Amino acid sequence: MSKTIVCYKWVKDEADIKVNPDLSVDLSKAKGKISDYDKNAIEAAVQAARLLAGKSIGLTFGTPKTKQSLKDALSRGLEEVCWINTEAAAEADGIVTSKALAAAIKKMDDVSLVICAEGASDTYARQTAPRLGALLQWPVITSVSKIQINGDILSASRKLDDCIETVKVKLPAVIAVLPEICNAPIPGLKAVMAAGKKPIAEYQAGDIGIDFTSKSQVSGLKAYAMNRKNIILEGDTSEKIASLVAALKKEGVL
Amino acid sequence: MSEDEKFDAIIIGAGPAGSACAYTLAKDGKEVLVIEKGDTPGSKNLTGGRFYTYALEMLDADLLKEAALERKVTHEQLMMLSGDRGITIDYYDPSFNQKGHTPVSYTILRASFDEWLAGKAEEMGAVVVCGVKVDGLIEKDGMIVGVIAGEDEMYADVVIAADGVNSLIAQHAGLINDIESHTVGVGIKEVIELSGKTIEERFNLKPGEGAARMILGCTDGIHGGGFLYTNQESISLGCVLMPEEAAERKISVHEVLQNLKMHPAVYPLLEGGHTVEYGAHLVSEAGFRGIPKKLYRDGFIIIGDAAGLVINTGYSIRGIDLAIVSGIAAANAVIRANDTASVGPAYITELENLKLIPTMKATDGFFEILETPWLYDKLPNLGADICAYLYREDGELPGSIKKDILKLVKANGLSVFQLAKFGLKGVRSL
Repeated sequence: MSKTIVCYKWVKDEADIKVNPDLSVDLSKAKGKISDYDKNAIEAAVQAARLLAGKSIGLTFGTPKTKQSLKDALSRGLEEVCWINTEAAAEADGIVTSKALAAAIKKMDDVSLVICAEGASDTYARQTAPRLGALLQWPVITSVSKIQINGDILSASRKLDDCIETVKVKLPAVIAVLPEICNAPIPGLKAVMAAGKKPIAEYQAGDIGIDFTSKSQVSGLKAYAMNRKNIILEGDTSEKIASLVAALKKEGVL
Repeated sequence: MSEDEKFDAIIIGAGPAGSACAYTLAKDGKEVLVIEKGDTPGSKNLTGGRFYTYALEMLDADLLKEAALERKVTHEQLMMLSGDRGITIDYYDPSFNQKGHTPVSYTILRASFDEWLAGKAEEMGAVVVCGVKVDGLIEKDGMIVGVIAGEDEMYADVVIAADGVNSLIAQHAGLINDIESHTVGVGIKEVIELSGKTIEERFNLKPGEGAARMILGCTDGIHGGGFLYTNQESISLGCVLMPEEAAERKISVHEVLQNLKMHPAVYPLLEGGHTVEYGAHLVSEAGFRGIPKKLYRDGFIIIGDAAGLVINTGYSIRGIDLAIVSGIAAANAVIRANDTASVGPAYITELENLKLIPTMKATDGFFEILETPWLYDKLPNLGADICAYLYREDGELPGSIKKDILKLVKANGLSVFQLAKFGLKGVRSL
């Protein structure tokens, strides 16, 4: 049976992240959540699987804490989830993440479509989908705002800077979707209850058989504070406009 | 169990009452579903707060060791404020916290406590579903047989409403009417973050010890008061006011709390702290007479705050412990009753057996005592005046203390007769 895989990431809830006065970042009180854009991607996968008359499967690569996400993912309509459980995920860069996900995807048969969100709500690095395509040697379509599926042909609308591009590919393929691809409804009572009974496949680092060493390492994390000029312009309206123009020219903005 | 089968019980709300009830039922092997509106249990709840440990021991003595609690209360304090003056009484009693004995009470933050307790119920086998709102009840032949949530219907032998003060579910079931403004207070609270060491220094505490303080005279004369609890690394400071009086006098509740924070006797305790939480909630103020006439219908019972189980004596406030005990009572009733119709009466019997209703009855008199209007302004002012009189020395010949104090009583618009009557009323009504 055809399988649609959706990759999702368990991220820190940005609402709980605290910036200290010295601009250091306090993540200690931040709870986890499924990256917001991934919720739309999950719903897109559920709908795509229906069109392909197949199964929708969630796939996540994370630390043991990611376990909390599995029930939430399943309550969103996926039929199964697959979890690569390793502490190494905390330090993983784009290459390691994509290799781990690709290795898990290769273990599954009949995969027609892999869906990722365009970027995760923490880093928004936009690397996973293109790298997955390269590793699987499948075509990749990014910035997808709409899809149609006809047999084994998927046509996607790509939202670019100044136009909409329509692209067709033969499945299997990897797509990176924008949040507007579809709404992410809040799961209902029965959906949440049913989630507890759905199958979960768990892989340990050893099952995946890749090198988890990241080539890039995070050496520091600091908040960014906007330096404002705090200039108050005085005088009547025409004087204010004149000094505003002068100030903007001085800054090289005009 | 398949989805179409029905549960032994559906509990609405994963606060202390709902989770205690679910824990007890699941431990007995019952199929229980808990439906919580918040994204996590406790995320919609607020307390002062303090928690009396006996209730958790009643639920399961093992739970107390790992409960998400803050500091054991070793210092019971009462503060009276008047203008920029303040009197603080600090009662320290080591026997409340003897080695080898369970401390009588702990300070508590609900978000962590509620999530922990719901997790325990889940471990016992209860199904806990968060982020789902129950929209209504399903009624069949005069009996409640299930709940409606969005497009889903779920059935159970008994539906238990643990959805807190102003229970909409109990209103759906026709057991209570819409809220009456004089029976509830509006409580607001800030959690102010400070290091544990700073808190211990400012409140004269050893590590792990905590203070619980009730504050009188901080409400602009409105019926109500303030509270302060020391947590591990934060202070909970807030006040409860009767919203009707505040509205009549056009006083904003937020302003009252802001003034309390800036009071010269309070501010040094908070200085340097950061407000990390600000919340507001209704509090049932009516005590025994706030309990609905009927706590059940066929197939339906109400527990915790939904059933009005809150005691305010003026010197302490109880609710979480009563919620847990009522949850246990409800669970016992479901376990012991032979049929749905006998669950309700069995619940009332359990509430009596666990001394909950008798406790509410015994403290009923406080409601009238706390209705005395001069408690909230004239009394704290008289207290401060007497202290000022007693402690001020100017080298002059002392007058007659009795006469001078009587003068102060009169100057505050009170009379000895009034105070004596109040004392007598207090003795009689308790």
